[in-house]
Amino acid sequence: MPEHPWRTVIALLIGAVAFGITPLALAHLWALYFSPKKPGPEKNAIYECGLESKGDAWIQFDPAYYLYAIIFLIFDVEAIFLLPFAVAFTGLSMGAAIAMLVFLLLLVEGLIWAWQKGLLTWA
Amino acid sequence: MSSPSIDPVGVDVSAEAIRAALVKGVPGCEATVVENGSPSAQHSLLLDHEHAVEAATFLRDHAEFRLDFCSNVTGVDWPDKEVTEKVKVTKVVDGPDGPKEQQVEETRKTLIPGYLETVYHLFSMEKKHGPVILRLRTANRGEGNHLPSLTPVWRSAEFQEREAFDLFGIVFDGHPDLRRILMWEDFTDHPMRKDYVPPEEDEPVMDDGCAPGSSAEQGAAGQ
Amino acid sequence: MGSEVMEQELKDLKVELSKHGIFTTTLEEVYNWGRKNSVWPLTFGLACCAIEMIATSMARYDIARFGAEVFRPSPRQADLMIVAGTVTKKMAPQVVRLYNQMPEPKYVIAMGACAISGGPFRDGYNVLKGIDRYIPVDVHIPGCPPRPEALLHAFITLQKKIDAQQLRGAGRARHLKAETPSEYPVPDFGSHDLEPTHNDEVFPPRPESPFKVLP
Repeated sequence: MPEHPWRTVIALLIGAVAFGITPLALAHLWALYFSPKKPGPEKNAIYECGLESKGDAWIQFDPAYYLYAIIFLIFDVEAIFLLPFAVAFTGLSMGAAIAMLVFLLLLVEGLIWAWQKGLLTWA
Repeated sequence: MSSPSIDPVGVDVSAEAIRAALVKGVPGCEATVVENGSPSAQHSLLLDHEHAVEAATFLRDHAEFRLDFCSNVTGVDWPDKEVTEKVKVTKVVDGPDGPKEQQVEETRKTLIPGYLETVYHLFSMEKKHGPVILRLRTANRGEGNHLPSLTPVWRSAEFQEREAFDLFGIVFDGHPDLRRILMWEDFTDHPMRKDYVPPEEDEPVMDDGCAPGSSAEQGAAGQ
Repeated sequence: MGSEVMEQELKDLKVELSKHGIFTTTLEEVYNWGRKNSVWPLTFGLACCAIEMIATSMARYDIARFGAEVFRPSPRQADLMIVAGTVTKKMAPQVVRLYNQMPEPKYVIAMGACAISGGPFRDGYNVLKGIDRYIPVDVHIPGCPPRPEALLHAFITLQKKIDAQQLRGAGRARHLKAETPSEYPVPDFGSHDLEPTHNDEVFPPRPESPFKVLP
């Protein structure tokens, strides 16, 4: 019988799965044998730092949050790139400075666009 | 409008000076100086209910006083007090030789009804002076426990008036959000009142003889 | 009597064998050894004692030496609740509810005078006179606040307690008995006090005072 080319892989796969499942199965068996299950309404309740939860967790968030997050990203990226630019400013060539200004211009353009769209005013 | 710098002369913010200004500036305002006999001599001003908010606004906006900061609001409970005093009274007494006027010493008991009180400590951030102390007294400790709220004048009084409401049971009329602040909402007592009785313990307390009035102390006193 | 003698003989045998480099153990010992060295406390502080608890977890006192440095922010992952500080009556239901939400096995250390009895605020109108009125406490630490060493001592005491817990038989650990509850009733806010004022199951009426009140 010729050896199947995947035999080693399959053996390893079974070993890997067993390695993960065996401790879980043992723990489960242990629990079945020794420790009784004790669920309860309080124990299974939603965790709210000890307070009773009120209402539903499935509530709608204002999409303005996401827009704010995106605008925040603009400033974040700007700050990350500006710091090394500022540190190395005196040693930079004219071309590098212009490239940086173009980058800044693009970001400012984005900000102006968001501003004009009225994203900075909270609805 | 006065300049925001410190007044080089200094404004007289004694209770007497404030009272004089109030009587002049707020028509109909009844302000009484409550003397403080202690060495600190921090005399305070007792205001009447009707003009309290008006007087407070006057003090806040007054160009010289500018009491723009209410640092502290506290409650005081004054329970009913019974005063015993000996009075000499002339009475007609039946003597062996007919009725006769005679000096008789009598003990009289007078009940001074209690009231609840709030004390406001005011400072001026702009003029850097203070404190000016205002007092408001309720009619009694029962139904008449209403006082005008000064929260519309000084926002910082909001939580402290809520605390006075919670712990003393003083109802502030005009308060924007008068709820209990320390105790839970279903709580019915006012724990800082002098006649508050804490809930009874239903289990015996271990008597190890250390606490005042415990068995060991009583035993020692009895011997 | 017979079983006690046998137990002692077994212990002696173990000691003797370990001297020769042979270590024997039982399932119970392995189980308890694993549990006692990986007790995860709940991130939970109520008042000033919590500062001492934080100090205990930092480098100088280093509760990590005992396997308890993993403070869990959720009761679902915690084994130990360190009640560190004054429990106000307004806070008590929340504390009990957090305890209820912890999975088994769970342990409680009442840290400091306030948590065990109300402490200096015992006569206060809003102070619970000890958290042991509502939940079973394993170790009490007196002190105001207890030093980090005291908390470590309490923790080692708890480890010893865990180590002594049995897996089978009538004396087995609380979480292994089906009849012991895993959650305790949460007190309600009454008009004068918490209702009920205590849980009879964990806070039975005290025995007669050994100190007699003189006539």
